[in-house]
Amino acid sequence: MTPIQMTFSTMFLLGLMGLTFHRTHLLSALLCLETLMLSLFLATSLWALQLSTINIACVPMLLLAFSACEASSGLALVVATAGTHGSDHMQNLNLLQC
Amino acid sequence: MSYLVCVLLFRLMVGSVGVASNPSPYFAAMGLVMESGVGCGVLICFGGSFLPLVFFLIYLGGMMVVFAFSAALSAEPYPYGWGNRSVKMYVAAYVLGVGCAWKVLLGKWSGFWGGILDESGELLVLRGGMMGVAAMHDVGGWMLVLGGLGLLLTLFVVLELVRGVSRGGLRTV
Repeated sequence: MTPIQMTFSTMFLLGLMGLTFHRTHLLSALLCLETLMLSLFLATSLWALQLSTINIACVPMLLLAFSACEASSGLALVVATAGTHGSDHMQNLNLLQC
Repeated sequence: MSYLVCVLLFRLMVGSVGVASNPSPYFAAMGLVMESGVGCGVLICFGGSFLPLVFFLIYLGGMMVVFAFSAALSAEPYPYGWGNRSVKMYVAAYVLGVGCAWKVLLGKWSGFWGGILDESGELLVLRGGMMGVAAMHDVGGWMLVLGGLGLLLTLFVVLELVRGVSRGGLRTV
């Protein structure tokens, strides 16, 4: 594997592991999601640049647009959680717990 | 140039480990800011000019700013930095995992670390990344319209989520 390919693959896996495991705040889970988006942007941009397939350069731009949508929805959820529970601690989100 | 790319890739890894290891969102946002700046540096080393600029403006200048001031919603009196014991355990585990993976998969890499910055050796007006994004406006026009409609939809989604007074996501306000 080339070093750059290894880098963005490892970044993706680290972000995924950070999103999956237990954490205190909802906002830090959203930041791990942003790491995932960053690794995908790097991967698709380097695809366009290194392999000289120029038309693929649209893909990182559209990825960025939809990632902005997702980040803003996540932040709206954080605001709603802070408004309802007073903080964005994950342990407060336990309505469905038996 | 190879050394610069090596250092930037290392900083990307450090940033990822720093965000994934569950510190307080203040510090995770700082790690992500550094990571996105360094990611732009990597793209520049590989010959991009427009894509890293767009990334800097939109991601770092738009989304990260919003995340940084939203970190005030998760304020706590003693935020967990990377020196905290539980965070340090996660950092150690991730560094060990990443180190083993790199040693196994990349241990025999004796090739070229750097990127190809420019192949013509002269000043160019129309570069690759810019032409690809121009193609998005040209033949990919419908995708652009779809993206714009998606962003408009997200605006209404966000407004409905944070609306209070017995509608939307806020229950007690």
